[in-house]
Amino acid sequence: MSKALFEGRMTEDIKLRSYYGKFIFNSHFLVFLMIAAGVMLYTLLGLRETLSPGIHIDLICAIVLSIFINPKYRSLLKEADMLFLPPYEKHMTAYFKRADIYSLSLGIVPPIAVSIAVMILLTIGHDLTHIILFFFVALILYFNTFSIKRLAVNTELKKWMVNLILFVLNFVSLFLIQQHSLFIILALAIVVLSQVSVRKIRFKTLSWLNYTAYEQEESHAYFQVVSMFTNVKQIDKSFKRRAYLDLLLPDMKGEKFNKKNMYEYLFYRSFLRDHDLPMIVLRIIILFFIIMFWISNFYISLVFSLFGIYIIVLQMSQIYTNQAYLLWPKIWPVNRSYIQDSYIRYSHKMVLLISIIFTLMFIIVESEYFYIGLLFPLWGHVLNRFLSRSIYKKEEELSD
Amino acid sequence: MVLNIKNLTGGYSKEPVIHDISLDIKRGEIIGLIGLNGAGKSTTIKHILGLLRPHSGSIKVMERTLEDDVEAYRRHLGYIPETPILYEELTLKEHINMTAMAYGLTPEQVEERKGPLLKRFRLDDKEDTFPSHFSKGMKQKVMLICAFIAEPDLYIIDEPFLGLDPLGIESLIELMISEREENRSILMSTHILSTAERYCDRYIIIDKGRKIADGNLEELRALTHLPNGTLDDVYIKLTGGNHHE
Repeated sequence: MSKALFEGRMTEDIKLRSYYGKFIFNSHFLVFLMIAAGVMLYTLLGLRETLSPGIHIDLICAIVLSIFINPKYRSLLKEADMLFLPPYEKHMTAYFKRADIYSLSLGIVPPIAVSIAVMILLTIGHDLTHIILFFFVALILYFNTFSIKRLAVNTELKKWMVNLILFVLNFVSLFLIQQHSLFIILALAIVVLSQVSVRKIRFKTLSWLNYTAYEQEESHAYFQVVSMFTNVKQIDKSFKRRAYLDLLLPDMKGEKFNKKNMYEYLFYRSFLRDHDLPMIVLRIIILFFIIMFWISNFYISLVFSLFGIYIIVLQMSQIYTNQAYLLWPKIWPVNRSYIQDSYIRYSHKMVLLISIIFTLMFIIVESEYFYIGLLFPLWGHVLNRFLSRSIYKKEEELSD
Repeated sequence: MVLNIKNLTGGYSKEPVIHDISLDIKRGEIIGLIGLNGAGKSTTIKHILGLLRPHSGSIKVMERTLEDDVEAYRRHLGYIPETPILYEELTLKEHINMTAMAYGLTPEQVEERKGPLLKRFRLDDKEDTFPSHFSKGMKQKVMLICAFIAEPDLYIIDEPFLGLDPLGIESLIELMISEREENRSILMSTHILSTAERYCDRYIIIDKGRKIADGNLEELRALTHLPNGTLDDVYIKLTGGNHHE
């Protein structure tokens, strides 16, 4: 029974992922990925020629791979399972075994892609045997990380604490193995010790509450990522008051207090009070700036700037879709075209602001190519026009 | 005539839920739209609001159909849904502002009208709070304030007393009566017949998607031969005591 139960849920999850996959990996994004991969490969091969062996490369390799050998655990359990499945706990082995295999298969691509990049860097100053040993240890750590994460669900350990400890242990192991092959003994000892420790503190029976809560968090995290590319109905929108940002919100006064401006009034509030959106935008800007500054390569800075603007413009459009389908615009004596007009005004202003931020970031990193950065607002404007058109069309079809 | 419905048949799909309903609402009337769950009250309301398209028949608000002029049609209507529908990202003050902008009110009119309403519903210290964090009754009060600030010619209120505390119910009734005195009309769907009996001028009784009676309490008593009957008695007699949906 438990095997069939998991397989049904797995099929449902695969369908969902393929549905959202179409939105994420659309033709523009695939072109971007190919360009980004090409640029990355070109840069890495260039670095291989110019960089001399040193501890800094070992550090980078250990940090990057430690971040990526962190597979997610997806049990696909649902809230109602808490009530219905406990009596069948002893017969759930097949379910959880399949959940393990499915979880491992889900997160396989990023570590492989990153391993290729790390391998190129490792060829600076390390021989083949050493590289093979490094990846052998990385493979063991990958499975150990997964196993510990899965076991830790059934303990009182906090998720962030488990992730942090695993990151540190993996980093230490991967860094030391680059210094001397004999450190493999230490890496294996860490694996054994971590397994013994977490098994010692896990609960005797399954904590269904922990498992379902963990799955909900993981599922939410997945939808959060998807929501960066398209609207996700599974995410309950939540908002934060953020009264300290009220100063930035336009207050329609005098003649501006009318139905033509009311949705613009709403859109700014939706954006600044969205639980995640302003933070996502801020994170993208900071993260991309750090990468651009750190690598200081013209092509990487250009690709990251263009991609940063693209992904933020995509994010912004969810504000329009969220509002356009609500009840009140269908009740209020306001022409529906005002929603679109307001969104155009609001989004162009926001995109201009974000493009200017990227222009400044680009000029700081690549000052000699400042004139390229000046084109970013144009790129943002064109993208916004192009991407908004499809959501207007969809909305018109649905509201008809 | 504020509202005029002629031979309305409609529903959510091709299968009609309401059949051949005709009714009128004059200026300054409070009308109780009465029926069991699933009788067709909400469907009728959704048709009046223009959220559903009639299969046949016509609906006029202030002598205009929705097709004549959508904005003008809606300007005369204020709606209070059974379950409060709020913008989670807006404060109470901003909800009022959005409604005011939609109905073409000036900032001065808003200032003048909102104070008494906020005070009446005891929300005058909550203007900068997100109503989404309020209790259900308080959320319903936000819906009421937003509708009453616009002062439309016809209020459509779906289950107005649901979730309100006794003081809230009292405030709403007072407000409804004062609006009637201002020659504005109210169509309210309700299950609470004892309250409806005290304040409605007329009742429209719907059963299984059809209008089965329309009149004031005296007329309904005469129709059912229950000279001293309450609205509950009259309703049970008219529907044959059929409480199965």
